Amino acid sequence: MATMATAELKPSPRWRRARNVFSGYALILPALLLVGLIIVYPATRSIIVTLTTQADGSPAAFTLDQYTSFFTDTLSTTNLLYTLRVALEVVAILFLIAFPICLYLRFSKSRIANVIHFLTLFPLFVPGIVLAYALIRFTITHGMLASILAALCINNYTTPYLTTQGIMFGLVWEGIPFTTLILNAALIQIDDALIDSARDVGANAWQIFTRIMLPLIKDAVVIIFALQFLMILGSYTIPYLMGPAEPEMMGVFMQRTYQDVQNPVQAQTQAVVTFVIAALAGYVYVRTVASQQKGQE
Amino acid sequence: MSATLPRSDTPAHPQLPQSPSPALAGALRWLRRDGLGGLIAVTLILFIIGPMLSVVLWAFAVRWQYPSLLPTEYGFRWWSETFRRADIGTAIPQSISITLIATALSALVSLPAAYAFARMRFPGRQIFLLSFLATNAFPRFGLYITIAVIFFQLNLIGTVQGVVVIQVVNSLLLMIWIPTAAFRNVDRGLEEAALDVGASRLRVFTQITLPIVFPAIAAAVLLSAVNIFYEAQASLIIGLPNVRTVPVLMYSLINNQLVVQYGAILMFVTWVPSLILLAFAQRFLRGRHFAAGFGV
Repeated sequence: MATMATAELKPSPRWRRARNVFSGYALILPALLLVGLIIVYPATRSIIVTLTTQADGSPAAFTLDQYTSFFTDTLSTTNLLYTLRVALEVVAILFLIAFPICLYLRFSKSRIANVIHFLTLFPLFVPGIVLAYALIRFTITHGMLASILAALCINNYTTPYLTTQGIMFGLVWEGIPFTTLILNAALIQIDDALIDSARDVGANAWQIFTRIMLPLIKDAVVIIFALQFLMILGSYTIPYLMGPAEPEMMGVFMQRTYQDVQNPVQAQTQAVVTFVIAALAGYVYVRTVASQQKGQE
Repeated sequence: MSATLPRSDTPAHPQLPQSPSPALAGALRWLRRDGLGGLIAVTLILFIIGPMLSVVLWAFAVRWQYPSLLPTEYGFRWWSETFRRADIGTAIPQSISITLIATALSALVSLPAAYAFARMRFPGRQIFLLSFLATNAFPRFGLYITIAVIFFQLNLIGTVQGVVVIQVVNSLLLMIWIPTAAFRNVDRGLEEAALDVGASRLRVFTQITLPIVFPAIAAAVLLSAVNIFYEAQASLIIGLPNVRTVPVLMYSLINNQLVVQYGAILMFVTWVPSLILLAFAQRFLRGRHFAAGFGV
């Protein structure tokens, strides 16, 4: 901008690059500052507090007391394992549901495909708390689902509300749009010619799926797995409103440890432990995206 | 199970049972042609639309008892009762103003950053972009505990400003990632052509770039606004006791309220407008850009 005085004088490429770098940093700075102040700084402070507070609450230079009491407490480890189990099972169910739907959408051009596409996106427009309320009303002992089943002469319905199935129902419901969107996008990129030629040499549908399609969408599957796992670890509304009193998922456990047990340091320890596991999933995601971009360049 | 699917190009098998009536034959043919699609659609309608339908029905129901499939008596009797409740009367305007302020601030901070991430080359660009995702890995609640301590010292507990700041930060990921993907997808040749025929940089941006990325930005803004409106945990810890938003109220209505209609009506009047807004975002999400934002 300073060199605008003489129109003929073109800025050197080096100067242009430097200006680009400078304005790039200037534009992302406010967002980065916010994240630094509201997320990175408190998170670091949380981690430090958990490493400098002894079991009796008195400060120390460095101690693993909080982590020792977390991992020796049966309730804490049960809840942690329970959270991991629910997360893995929900992701597995999501794949079981999403694969048939997305394969159908990939090959069908019917009008029903449009309806299905809309239905899979719909949960994106339903906030967690509205969903929890809707699912409670729908699945409760004498709710709408029970009425529908009764009309079909099925009378032995037991409600998933306040059980692990309730949590899983809700989390699967919430996860469908993201899973199908990413899977659809990956399947669309597979060339029709590739599938046709496999068919011509006599491959059946299963062989086409496992030998041709699956290797091509491997990265998308890893991305879905990592991000869904991450989202489920941090979930709160659905487990809190739909789940059993015991065991609890980590999000609910943290809040109860803070508000009812009034032990903020132990609640933060639970947060840090969850974070370390989430960070592993995040690492898998980042590595997949990075290797994919390297492959494209 | 895919193994048993017939190849779509196989000619129709002759052993299709000859049905007695033409209507049944038609249904069978339809099922045979797109039975899988029909099955998927019916299942999804039952489990995805069903729950939402029960909320809508409850909002207008006066009486609904098992095992009746639909309410036995409709009416607006509970509507006036719901809106006469003082807590609902103050929560709705408070939530709307927090949502509008936080969404506007979030757009102000995020959209320039999205443009920079998509268009400018600077060291660490990819790492900074991923850092917005990485920050989501730390459990929100753990953060709120520490933030509450910090905000207490700053006198921000129980204030609208405190809640707004948290909501802005929560919406950064969505508000940066979707527009970044959109800016990346703009054809640079189009912009250069306009520059070549003498358009100013500002004019190129407002008349070429902006119209192309507008649907994606609108989708990001709408999704963020809806997320902010319904975020409860931050409002619970930072906002109470003075700031009581709609979702905080919803928690207590779900947990401690025997009258089903209060919750149903509150959900209905807040959710249906957001659904209409989000319907506009639908078209963008179905395109490839959304998935591209996540590296697919």
